[in-house]
Amino acid sequence: MITLNGLCKRYGDRPVVDDLSLEVRPGTVTGFLGPNGAGKSTTMRLILGLDHPTAGTALINGVPYHRIRNPLRTVGALLDARALHPGRSGHAHLVALARGNGIARRRVAEVLETVGLTDAARKRAGALSLGMSQRLGIAAALLGDPEVLMFDEPVNGHDPDGVRWVRHLMRSLADEGRTVFVSSHLMSEMQLTADHLVVIGRGRLIMDAPLTEVIARSSLTAVVVRTPHAGDLSVRLSAAGIRVERPGENEIVATGAAIEHIGDLAYEAGIRLHELRTREASLEQAYQELTASSVEYGARKAGV
Amino acid sequence: MRTGELGQAVGAEWSKLWSVRSTWWCLAGAAVLMVVSALTLGGSTATDMLHGRGAQTPFPASQPVITATLFVQFTLVALAMLVITSEYASGGIRSTLQATPIRGRVIAAKALVVAPVMFAAGVLSGGVAAAVVYAALSTDLFGGYVTLPPAEVAVDLLRVGVFLALVSVTTLGVGTAVRSAAGTLTVVFMVLMGLPLMLLMTGSQVGVEVSLRMPLFAGLAFMGGTGDLTAGLIPYSAGEGLAWLLAWTAAAVAAGYAVLRRRDA
Repeated sequence: MITLNGLCKRYGDRPVVDDLSLEVRPGTVTGFLGPNGAGKSTTMRLILGLDHPTAGTALINGVPYHRIRNPLRTVGALLDARALHPGRSGHAHLVALARGNGIARRRVAEVLETVGLTDAARKRAGALSLGMSQRLGIAAALLGDPEVLMFDEPVNGHDPDGVRWVRHLMRSLADEGRTVFVSSHLMSEMQLTADHLVVIGRGRLIMDAPLTEVIARSSLTAVVVRTPHAGDLSVRLSAAGIRVERPGENEIVATGAAIEHIGDLAYEAGIRLHELRTREASLEQAYQELTASSVEYGARKAGV
Repeated sequence: MRTGELGQAVGAEWSKLWSVRSTWWCLAGAAVLMVVSALTLGGSTATDMLHGRGAQTPFPASQPVITATLFVQFTLVALAMLVITSEYASGGIRSTLQATPIRGRVIAAKALVVAPVMFAAGVLSGGVAAAVVYAALSTDLFGGYVTLPPAEVAVDLLRVGVFLALVSVTTLGVGTAVRSAAGTLTVVFMVLMGLPLMLLMTGSQVGVEVSLRMPLFAGLAFMGGTGDLTAGLIPYSAGEGLAWLLAWTAAAVAAGYAVLRRRDA
């Protein structure tokens, strides 16, 4: 469990993380979304105690990171896969981490096997492809068999097989009851992986809700109705305060009401329906709507 | 248990030190430089004596080793510097701090690895250099001025090791504070060699007094160097030389800790 309480980080006047309060719960994959520069990586560094917060706290199981004994055995994190000495082998990197936290040496071979890097681990880390570096970073995160895992853009650099592998790994880690907090730019990927979403923009919390709710709340999630009496029905729906569009002669797209409610209204009016279905927004669409006002660089340029 | 965690951090630093090639290159370079420069310096002194220049007093094989140490120190300084600056450069410091979030413990662990390794490097390479100097220069060809009094040579070598350990930990402290390799090397070179020589050359009373308390002359006083550089120059004992060395080391480590503790990684 990760708990943020009024977490703030400023560089000079510029707030990078601005009064962030949320809980990341065990047993779920929590997707962490936001435009570039929204403060995702900074938030993760604050949780790990790498950066010092300007105000507020970031706690793991109720304590700050630096108070955890042998922290790699409680929290595993992949921040920047390339952030290790390019001349050291992946194997030696993991051995040093294991020694530093009293982790059994056999875990090194185990996690290398898990990420499929057993052979490449003897090579200099600088000679690994980005995808392999990501696997090594994931191996380092898994090393201490931690109950809390954080991944910053873990699918970057993977081939399609690798992307699918990362997705299954996140899923299975959460299914084992672990807390999985993962940031990504790839909405289609998040839609397949995450149970819960935290969306931030310019350091502020925009949304903290289950994936299904984020999608349901989008204006692009609508009820599509096909009926020979479209004109009649649209009047009735409008009267009930439902937003209605008429893309075609016999078609209505209604937003702001549940499908059951629209079905009931049609039934009460005795209007025959040929089709009644929900058209779900994609996470991509829902996300764009949420963050449209806070795209960091777009907003800046507009002011120039 | 705090000491247990420090021990683990030391183990991690030990693994990291020996798993990069630069460590081996620096140590091999230091050993070669030690032997070659001790032989050259000893040969020069012996030849001068042979030709009737300067006092013709026999000297122990460890004496040119002490002078050579002033050159060799920079090879080991480079190694000590890399222990921290390579982590800043690559971002590996974040991985280190994830494993060991108590920042003072990170510096302590690095110092506890660097100090004994540099001590051993100094004693061993100095020992080899002294043996080579004695084997090559104690012959009649060089006038037989080079001697090998075991106790005196042993003490000299141990002091060479301590001196190299201390300047290396000083470098570690500076590197932790400065972060970049180029900046660290500049600062360390100025403190170890540049400033004391410049201050000495100013000839002003204050300049000379300060210079004599900097690691170069404090080190020579501690190691008992009697070479031309310091003949009759240093007005204090070997013990006081060690005290000044320790003070410089403590100041550098304190500066490194102050920076590492406050800054974002």
